[in-house]
Amino acid sequence: MAWRTIDRTKVSPEEMGPGLSAAVREKIQAFFPRYPTKQAALIPALHIIQDALGYISLQAMEDVAELLELHPSQVMDVVSFYSMFWTHPRGKKTIMLCRSLSCELMGGKNVRDALVEKLGIKEHETTDDGEWSFMTEECLAACEHAPCMLINEKLHKCVRVEDLNRILSDPDNDKLEMPRSDLFDAPRTAQT
Amino acid sequence: MPKIIIDGQEIECRPGIPVLQAALEAGMDIPHYCYHPGLKIVASCRLCLMEMKMPHPKTKEMAWAPKLFPSCQTPAKDGMEVRFDSDAVRANVRHVMEYYLLNHPLDCPVCDKAGECYLQDYTEDHGSAASRMVDEKQKNPKKDIGPQTLLYSDRCVLCSRCVRFCDEISGTSELRVINRGSRGEIDVFPGRPLDNALQGNVVELCPVGALLDKEFLFRQRVWTLKTTKSISPVDSRGQSIYIDYNEEGIHRIRPRFNEKVNEWWISDEARFGWKHVHRDDRLNQPRVRGSDGLVPQRWEELPEFLRKRLADAAKQVSDSVAVVLSPMMSCEEAWLLAKAVRDVAPQAVLFHGFVPVVGEDRTFPKGFVVKAEKCPNRRGIETICEHLGGNTANWGDFLGMASSGKIKAAYVVGGYPNEWLTSEAVAAIGQVEFLVVQDLFPTALTEHAAVEIPSVSWTEREGMFMNCDGLLQEFERALNPLEGTKADGQFFFELAGNVGLFRAKKVREEMAAALPVFADVFIPQELPEHAH
Repeated sequence: MAWRTIDRTKVSPEEMGPGLSAAVREKIQAFFPRYPTKQAALIPALHIIQDALGYISLQAMEDVAELLELHPSQVMDVVSFYSMFWTHPRGKKTIMLCRSLSCELMGGKNVRDALVEKLGIKEHETTDDGEWSFMTEECLAACEHAPCMLINEKLHKCVRVEDLNRILSDPDNDKLEMPRSDLFDAPRTAQT
Repeated sequence: MPKIIIDGQEIECRPGIPVLQAALEAGMDIPHYCYHPGLKIVASCRLCLMEMKMPHPKTKEMAWAPKLFPSCQTPAKDGMEVRFDSDAVRANVRHVMEYYLLNHPLDCPVCDKAGECYLQDYTEDHGSAASRMVDEKQKNPKKDIGPQTLLYSDRCVLCSRCVRFCDEISGTSELRVINRGSRGEIDVFPGRPLDNALQGNVVELCPVGALLDKEFLFRQRVWTLKTTKSISPVDSRGQSIYIDYNEEGIHRIRPRFNEKVNEWWISDEARFGWKHVHRDDRLNQPRVRGSDGLVPQRWEELPEFLRKRLADAAKQVSDSVAVVLSPMMSCEEAWLLAKAVRDVAPQAVLFHGFVPVVGEDRTFPKGFVVKAEKCPNRRGIETICEHLGGNTANWGDFLGMASSGKIKAAYVVGGYPNEWLTSEAVAAIGQVEFLVVQDLFPTALTEHAAVEIPSVSWTEREGMFMNCDGLLQEFERALNPLEGTKADGQFFFELAGNVGLFRAKKVREEMAAALPVFADVFIPQELPEHAH
């Protein structure tokens, strides 16, 4: 193998990506009273960032580390541990296809092959027009509707290969029927 | 003291330590990677699993539990019975070793760790000769993670010692495990390299060849190196070190366990603070000023010449002879020199040498201290001066007395690794009529010196240093003195009128008889190689 060494000591500003806006910072800080330590607010903070930026950039990791009084490497540790945190930009809509047992038995693999062919991208990649990103997940907890997939946060049940064109062309394919709970990104106020 | 039974053998151990530590201290070579006595226990490598006797849930009789337990995480309790010498334990080690070797490259021939690698050792003892792996090996990349350190992540066994070291000992948290499961890797945050005052320790902590010192990279095979126990002269704490060297000179410095000073670690200053030993401009012959400048002189003629000149100066004004004892000297050397000069000039003034101080003391989270005082033996020099009594004073007084012309003859010892003289100091010392300078490198004093004597570095001498807490520690000689030079101790021995070889131990006995504090040399406990 050729002598290749990745230089981790330097990083260019382009690689760092966007940082946190004041609004996002405020949202994260609102979570602090909920936990005994600032570090404990890391996971909600990462969700907020991913919501705002679509992914978690290196600059965002540095910013959140500063906010939570951690070393950036500790944030990177957590981000890289969970596969649903994205570390590179993704498309407007993300398809998360279940690859677990029930879905696989009910034809999930065919759906995956068809999606890869239609979109022309592999897992964790984004189409050139920035419209679609694609990944597989271990289980979406909807085995009774296998094979299933998520487009952003909307669940599509019993997906057939022949349905894919219809689903992908539907402009409302990521619209939630039931809106998000208020609690999703707002901390409960302390109970008196 | 709890007594535990390991493999049918009763062992007494310190209270509160894990079974693994007790076994290691009892001399048993139990394989382990993640456990390190200086770090938190994570029990992640699964190599040290043991069998333990527990009360049967029904019959309440003591029986071997069906499950294996991590011995690093099980505290030793009085009366407990465990065993490592069993089929279940051996099978576990064999399986775990096979797992560690799945993705490990077979690059021992080019690996710096080869020869002191615990993956090699354990594979030889417990592994199998051939791999059953048929799939392609996972090849993780090599990474440049800091100014002094490289990470070969393909060799890593993910024991996480380095991560815990950066969290707990240096308190800087640069290193982390990223990703998960079989994709796990050690990494730094991009642009935040591993760069702290203790970072070199991760190289020794690494049980395999994953973390490597850039300076030692591809320099030597470790089995060609000889090792000497020494004390680092870079700061006043006197960190215990091993000097690894061969006929080409020093190749690296490693930490040596010392429970009272540096425990398992050393600072980077100590680790890399030997470069001056091999500088090209070291003084390598004694020179005496003649009519046309300094001319080389034979070592044999120096003692008599110096004794005569110092005695002459003392005859004119009895307290006009000065000796400046450098804190870079060992206690024995300072003792011999002070005695030798006082012998011919009884009223000679003993001065404490210049004490270099850089910044402030730095204390790390678990108590490791990097001292601001960058010399090893200030306390030793002070103790000797105090004992010998008579006129003693400090460096500042020396400069004052020299510039006022009170000092007619002075023997000034340097030996510092860096430039140490200010221009004011040079101007003051330049006033001395008969100036003897003993130093490692040419300095501004050379042009004022009547006699210039080469000194040798601490690696070429033996003796003892008294650290800032008054702890007396001995160091041994690694290298032979540079060609043309003479070990300082040997020269002072001859200057004091002795014939034969200088032996630090003999001088130490003489010193201890006069001053009991010098009898109390601290020798740290030596750790066996398997207790890494």
